[in-house]
Amino acid sequence: MAGKYVHQSILRLEDPELITGNVQFLDDIELPGMLHAAFKRSDYAHARIKSIDVSEARKLPGVIGVYTAEDFGDYIKPGPLQVPPPTAIKGATYVARTTMPIAKDKVRFAGEPVAIVIAESRYIAEDACDLIYVDYEPLEAVVDLEKALQPGSPLVHEDLPSNEAGHVRQERGSWEQAVKEADLVIKRKFFINRNAGAAMENRGIIVQWDKHAKQMTIWCGTQSVIALRNQTAARLGLFESQVRVITPNTGGGFGPKINTSLPDDVLITYLAMKLDRPIKWFEDRRENFLATTSERDQVHYCELAVKRDGTIVGLKDFFYHNTGAYNPYMMTVPLNTQTHTVTNYRVPNFLTEFYVVFTNQMIVTPVRGAGRQYGVFVMERMLDAAARELGMSPVEIRRKNLLPANAYPYYTSIIGQDFVEGVLDSGDYPTSFQKTLELIEYDKFVNEVQPKLRAQGKKVGIGVACFSEGTGVGPYEGARVTVGGNGKVVVTTGYTSQGQAHYTTFAQIVADQLGVDVKDVKVITGDTGYFGWGAGTFASRGITVAGTATHLAAQKVRQKALKLASKILEAPEEELELADGVVRVADIPSKFISLGDLATLANPMRGTMEPGTEPGLEAVAYYGPPYGATGAGAVGLIVEVDPETMQVSLEKMAFVHDCGTPVNPMVVDGQIHGGIQMGIGDAFYEELIYDENGQLVTASFMDYLFPQATDMPKKLVLGHMETPSPLNPLGIKGVGEAGAIPIPSVFTQAVENALQETGVEFDRDTLSPSRIFTYVQQAKGA
Amino acid sequence: MKLEGEHVFNGPREAVWEMFYDPEVLASALPGTQKLEMVAENEYEGAMNVRIGPVSGSFTGKLVISDVVEPESCTLTVDGRGTPGFAKGVGRVQFIDQGDGTTLMKYEGEMNIGGALASVGQRMIDSVAKTMIRQAFEVLDKALEARLAAKASGSEVVDFKPPSETEFAAAVAKDMAGGLTKIPEVRLLMYIIPLVAVLVLLAVLFRGCSG
Amino acid sequence: MAQTVKIKVTVNGKQYEREVEPRLLLSDFIRHDLGLTGTHVGCEHGLCGACTVLMDGEAVRSCTIFAVQADGHEIQTVESLGTPDNLHPIQQAFIEKHALQCGFCTPGFLMTLVDYLGDNPNPTEEEIREAIDGNFCRCTGYFNIIEAVKLAAQKMASH
Repeated sequence: MAGKYVHQSILRLEDPELITGNVQFLDDIELPGMLHAAFKRSDYAHARIKSIDVSEARKLPGVIGVYTAEDFGDYIKPGPLQVPPPTAIKGATYVARTTMPIAKDKVRFAGEPVAIVIAESRYIAEDACDLIYVDYEPLEAVVDLEKALQPGSPLVHEDLPSNEAGHVRQERGSWEQAVKEADLVIKRKFFINRNAGAAMENRGIIVQWDKHAKQMTIWCGTQSVIALRNQTAARLGLFESQVRVITPNTGGGFGPKINTSLPDDVLITYLAMKLDRPIKWFEDRRENFLATTSERDQVHYCELAVKRDGTIVGLKDFFYHNTGAYNPYMMTVPLNTQTHTVTNYRVPNFLTEFYVVFTNQMIVTPVRGAGRQYGVFVMERMLDAAARELGMSPVEIRRKNLLPANAYPYYTSIIGQDFVEGVLDSGDYPTSFQKTLELIEYDKFVNEVQPKLRAQGKKVGIGVACFSEGTGVGPYEGARVTVGGNGKVVVTTGYTSQGQAHYTTFAQIVADQLGVDVKDVKVITGDTGYFGWGAGTFASRGITVAGTATHLAAQKVRQKALKLASKILEAPEEELELADGVVRVADIPSKFISLGDLATLANPMRGTMEPGTEPGLEAVAYYGPPYGATGAGAVGLIVEVDPETMQVSLEKMAFVHDCGTPVNPMVVDGQIHGGIQMGIGDAFYEELIYDENGQLVTASFMDYLFPQATDMPKKLVLGHMETPSPLNPLGIKGVGEAGAIPIPSVFTQAVENALQETGVEFDRDTLSPSRIFTYVQQAKGA
Repeated sequence: MKLEGEHVFNGPREAVWEMFYDPEVLASALPGTQKLEMVAENEYEGAMNVRIGPVSGSFTGKLVISDVVEPESCTLTVDGRGTPGFAKGVGRVQFIDQGDGTTLMKYEGEMNIGGALASVGQRMIDSVAKTMIRQAFEVLDKALEARLAAKASGSEVVDFKPPSETEFAAAVAKDMAGGLTKIPEVRLLMYIIPLVAVLVLLAVLFRGCSG
Repeated sequence: MAQTVKIKVTVNGKQYEREVEPRLLLSDFIRHDLGLTGTHVGCEHGLCGACTVLMDGEAVRSCTIFAVQADGHEIQTVESLGTPDNLHPIQQAFIEKHALQCGFCTPGFLMTLVDYLGDNPNPTEEEIREAIDGNFCRCTGYFNIIEAVKLAAQKMASH
């Protein structure tokens, strides 16, 4: 669906201010009398706190206060669940041990706060942290996922019988039956490790309490202003209207910034009230690694039942999922894994089961991809294993099993993170796969290029993988569209932005409905003072859910404008059009009224308002889909491996994607680009490594390798498809996480292909030169 | 992290054992040491200030010696804590008389570190530890030589001057990869880690007990 | 720690005289003492490049330089480049190629490139990748930044 603006690559409206430094990020905000906070964090992953001595820290000049759990009394308790438990899934079990704002008696991960310092400057606050002495009794740390569930393992939460945090088993068809029908059952074990969000801007918060107005203002780069406002109000016994949460410009989110009721917001809101001074806390990079949520490991035991011709008859996937020390986000990540294991191929019988495990590591919550890529990885790896054992090509086995173009809507029977059965609303997977093969020139590479280069001794390889991305899930988002007396339009929404171009794309949607210049549409996101309803920025749902709400609100305003103008211009609504900022009679361009004048007239100062009407050229709309819209695509990759160093060079990547109607194709490309970079990081560079004592040993950019410009593919070709989603009027599907999802799958396949003569097979999603070397040595020894 | 290795001291076993008896010798090999005191039989407490370049923080360490078989072997447990984190080590040391006037010292141990030391410095600690071991043995070789010379001449003054903090840190930095030294945080860690490593290593090498 | 040092620094053509603690980072000085918040801080250990500014015309990381080291020197920040109505060619190119998303790392890229393109007006794609390798971006995958640098070089050549 194309309009004057929708489906056009217009340049971003927010850029001129953003690129000249004329905007405000969180740490740019200075308030009169503002104090600064710093946390004293645990050096131990698991230890009992015997005593904390803060006396010396309190004496340091410039220190206002030093607080431990004891000083907060009953205020300190585990926070609320951020996501409800999966009661919609039959037989699912869970326990909830949510985040402690500050450690009491015991620390459960290295980096957990044990004290907070408030001081006149951040420098002084950090000095004071060095003067706090904590006496710990170290306990054995729970680190290994599988050992954690064995009897006799130390317990992260000693009030529980084991480290099991939950269990879910879902089955479609019958795995038992599949085994009977299969010619071959292939078994593999996979290790998966995920990384940090590592947004360029760290997390932070500023809280101001106005004791006269009884009003709290919070500035925070949160992905959910509504959750932060509501949980803060509930905790402090305030009305929601007494708490205003504002997101300044935010330097990336990627998942972790969705969390609320963390130590910072719980403690700093309380202390800002108590001390009657504004307080700022802004994380440093080491804290971001240690104490901002991330994703971590899964271990999969997988079996694929196939016919000799490569046809899948069933899949069984049993896995453990690491949730870290607490589980405030419940099962979003492993449920995404379950649903995304079988969303590209026909898998008539599917048994999927997982255990969630507490460990002495940082809390796990979604990071871009949010578990989807694990499901895709497992399926793609199993297909590669099957192709290997059946002597088929990776292309052939995928073609054979891809869902056909007429399969939609396709019901997966597997309940996902949104607690409804997964449904693939639309798509055309065989075409996107074919297009990818063409763009990467698969046949030419395999038949001509590769043999020639191999003859020269070069280790070159190719891979191709498919993926899907469940996006735009419920519950809902809302928006208000208001035409001002100046004829310009304001859009407000509770949705938040971290760089996704909402200021442009939402404006494009509204400008098309109201016939105004897109530059005359101002979008305000993430400020509860303007709009107080919504869920938050997650699951690639911005343009799909909040964008659709914006579209619906703009349509309502359009209807209002037409109705009022019809009276004023004495012409039937059907003869009117909205264009160039006016409502005019289509055939008589001189007969018009400007939107601004219409807006003024829509708010009568005297007389009587007509029953059944509402004032203003303003409307609010909400949109909640029955289930998410599923984007999909495929990726091809050509690599060259240096046989000496095992460094992998990405020679060419082809990425085909279908997100339905792209509201702004330029922005869609940008989203895919960024996702690909995170996927490359996931596949080859980034890894959060915890040692056997639960110490994170990669807590700086020296050890946590952030993909840089020279690590990107030398050539990238994007291909687009548009099968509109039937779920929303614009036919949109989300795209935020797409790029990140299939990269580890295609990367491992391409590197294996490059090293084909060694017979190497990878069983993990994060490789590195030394890992590849080890695998090759093992393969040679075998 | 595992530590293991051996070193030949150019002196008889009893002299080597005796050298470890003397906390001053050990403290001298550890720049920045504020004190090294015996607090109970086979139990020592030490404190050191880390104040080199941008680093300032204090470490306190506790050393317990057990399983003492004089002059053959002992087990050492060290527990050091400070603002940049903690280090905990257990080591088993053996002194073997080689019959030619020299003593073979064998050691094996394990060290765990936490806090900033681990989260920002783990990757460097192995190579730094190797440097540290070499350095520590150089110091101890000289100390032994001085002690034996003093004994031979009947002098009470031991002519031994330990390296200064600066010389020590400079030697460590020299052993490290050149490229990384441009980054201040790396520079900082390059000083902290050796110091902690020395603390633990010395504990491993350290006998200095009344046993 | 209360000891302070008087420094004179020229920032974006304006001279400032301030009393600062010796340990104050140049990035904090620029951002919090002078209120020039266009410069951002991403890692505080000299790797991400978000805090890049020019010191006497050369790109440096202001998070690993003390303010006292800038005494007597000239600093340029992103605020010295262009305004929304009168953009620098590199800024214009970044917008036209969609080379920024959240915009947090962008000032660092711009300052790196002002220095780099001044010395290398006509870089190859490979040289561009090398030139920006010390600046991290989490949103764009660098693809559009590379395109923007090519466009900026063209724009600057025709100026």
